Amino acid sequence: MSVTLFYVFAAIAVAGALSMVLNVRNTVAGALSLVGTMVALGAIYVLLDAYLIGVLQILIYAGAIVVLFLFVVMLLNLREERYPPARGLIGKFVGVAAGAGVLAWFVTVLPGALPEAAAVGEDFGGYRHVGLALFRDYVLAFEVTSLLLLAAMVGAVILAKRRI
Amino acid sequence: MSPEIHLGAVGPTLLVGVGAMLVLVAEVMLSGRESFLGRRVTGAWLGSMLAVISSFFLILALIVAWQTFVVGSAQVFNPSHPMVRLDRLASFSIALIALGSLLSCWLSVGYLAELRINHGEYYALLLLATSGMMLLVSATDLIMIFLGIEIMSIPIYVLAGFDRRKLRSNESALKYFLVGSFASALLLYGMALLYGATGHTDLAGIATGFDVSNPLAAMGLGLVLVGFTFKISSVPFHQWTPDVYEGAPTSVTAYMSVTVKVAAFAALLRLLVEAFGDAPPALGTILTVLAALTLVVGNFVAVVQDNVKRMLAYSSIAHAGYLLIGFVAATPEAYSAVLFYLLAYVFMNLGAFGVIVALAHRGQDTDRIDDFAGLASSRPGLAALMTLFMVALAGIPGTGGFVAKFLVFKAAVNEGVIGLTILGVLTSVVSVYYYLRLPVAMYMREPGGEVPRREIASGEGIVLAVCAVVVLVLGLFPNNAPIFLFSWIRALDWTRDSVAMLF
Repeated sequence: MSVTLFYVFAAIAVAGALSMVLNVRNTVAGALSLVGTMVALGAIYVLLDAYLIGVLQILIYAGAIVVLFLFVVMLLNLREERYPPARGLIGKFVGVAAGAGVLAWFVTVLPGALPEAAAVGEDFGGYRHVGLALFRDYVLAFEVTSLLLLAAMVGAVILAKRRI
Repeated sequence: MSPEIHLGAVGPTLLVGVGAMLVLVAEVMLSGRESFLGRRVTGAWLGSMLAVISSFFLILALIVAWQTFVVGSAQVFNPSHPMVRLDRLASFSIALIALGSLLSCWLSVGYLAELRINHGEYYALLLLATSGMMLLVSATDLIMIFLGIEIMSIPIYVLAGFDRRKLRSNESALKYFLVGSFASALLLYGMALLYGATGHTDLAGIATGFDVSNPLAAMGLGLVLVGFTFKISSVPFHQWTPDVYEGAPTSVTAYMSVTVKVAAFAALLRLLVEAFGDAPPALGTILTVLAALTLVVGNFVAVVQDNVKRMLAYSSIAHAGYLLIGFVAATPEAYSAVLFYLLAYVFMNLGAFGVIVALAHRGQDTDRIDDFAGLASSRPGLAALMTLFMVALAGIPGTGGFVAKFLVFKAAVNEGVIGLTILGVLTSVVSVYYYLRLPVAMYMREPGGEVPRREIASGEGIVLAVCAVVVLVLGLFPNNAPIFLFSWIRALDWTRDSVAMLF
């Protein structure tokens, strides 16, 4: 049952991602198909017993972040004729070929290489488990992320504000 | 139960991070109509003040790192779940990064005023990037490595676009941001695969669980390597370097060309030694190919450049190639040679960019090779210094660049890496041609038209003097200089001690 569900959600995630990448003409539709990917990923986390992460994924990524993307896309008011004409056909071809090659390699090699699923404890995926991991084991990573956010914030203001 | 926490292990990072925040606060308090001092202050004064605050914290971090290095015992942030370890390799690299940032900071004051972009956020971003690098070089866990790389990169993307009115600067920032994000994504993908294959994110755990016959692990290692080659700008992931170096304000180029290289190479060193110590032979082959390509492309493409910043960008690609030779040899001797190379490179490259900074005039860089024609008659001091740095970068005896190259080549030959060493020597001969184009233009050609002139700012003067002295001392007396003032410099011993703890 859960394997079937996994394939269903994985297919949704891949379809959403593809639709986002291929939807270059309509950026709003692209951002919305990203919601599909994020929700499907959240469902996959739940299938992996990581309930809290699954909920957070949907709340933060599908909710907050994609909405922010949509705001930005709408504020920028992108239109198609603003894009420069495509060039460098050879580079594009090589890029696609290399990407397809790596993908084919992944698909042929990976199924035999996947590790055994690890057994999870009783309270795995709940608030307690995530909280302990976040604020005890990985507390330094959690804290220095604030430096990253500060840098991004200062940078965004510097680059975007009209008068500084 | 609360974990046992040793804040000392992230001491330098914390100091510099706090410094960044203080700079932001100080800028608000000092600038504007109603400043904290009760009167309006000039932009130049504000810039100097913020540079002083930044220098204070960088010097503190330098002292802390130096003390840790002298004491020599490793500090782990949380022993029950180690993610950061301040050992000798980390403290040596942190000291080097702090020095590079300090010199870049002094280099920036006059230049930012000249370009009319002296906003206080510049110093805050510089300090934030520095704290990220310090975290990166002491990280022993893939998560911390990734966070370190991001905290280092994001402020630098912004700094590259700091001259907001110039199109080239905007292009530089955007290009660096897009390529850098792509590299980070690949790196993260590789880390995820490594975690999937080994079940660990810490380097020691990966070392126990890594099995190269497992395609998942091999792919992970490959993708992590790709991510790092972007950051060290090795061929074939180097295309961003010339555009970014040329477009960014020169003081930023100076900063990122040296400190990012130190941080990325030190982190790569730790990663390869601690996680992939008993390296699969394929890794050596990959590194050999990367080094050979980097040497050839970097040195040959540099020959045809007309812009000095662009030429130095290709030269920095070429130097990544020489450093990679050390990684191919992969002995303690080779790694200590790599660290010595980085030490010399910081001062040579900062000096070279420092001269370009000092030549900036009326809000413009004078960075075409033609602009340097006849400089020896109008600015003899700068011309002499530029010649010294070019000679050092080319690796001519008597300078730190020569000793660095010699040590790397010697370590490689001792390990039987002959072909790559010969290629390295041959490409250094090519490099002499393009490095000496500048001295030839400065001393043998007549100045074309009006010679721009700006008084050297005091910060620039100090930086150029320090770089020149260090390049000469490293070249003439890499260990135990007989001159009283420099006898404490024992660069060879320091680099040896730094890697000794890893093996």
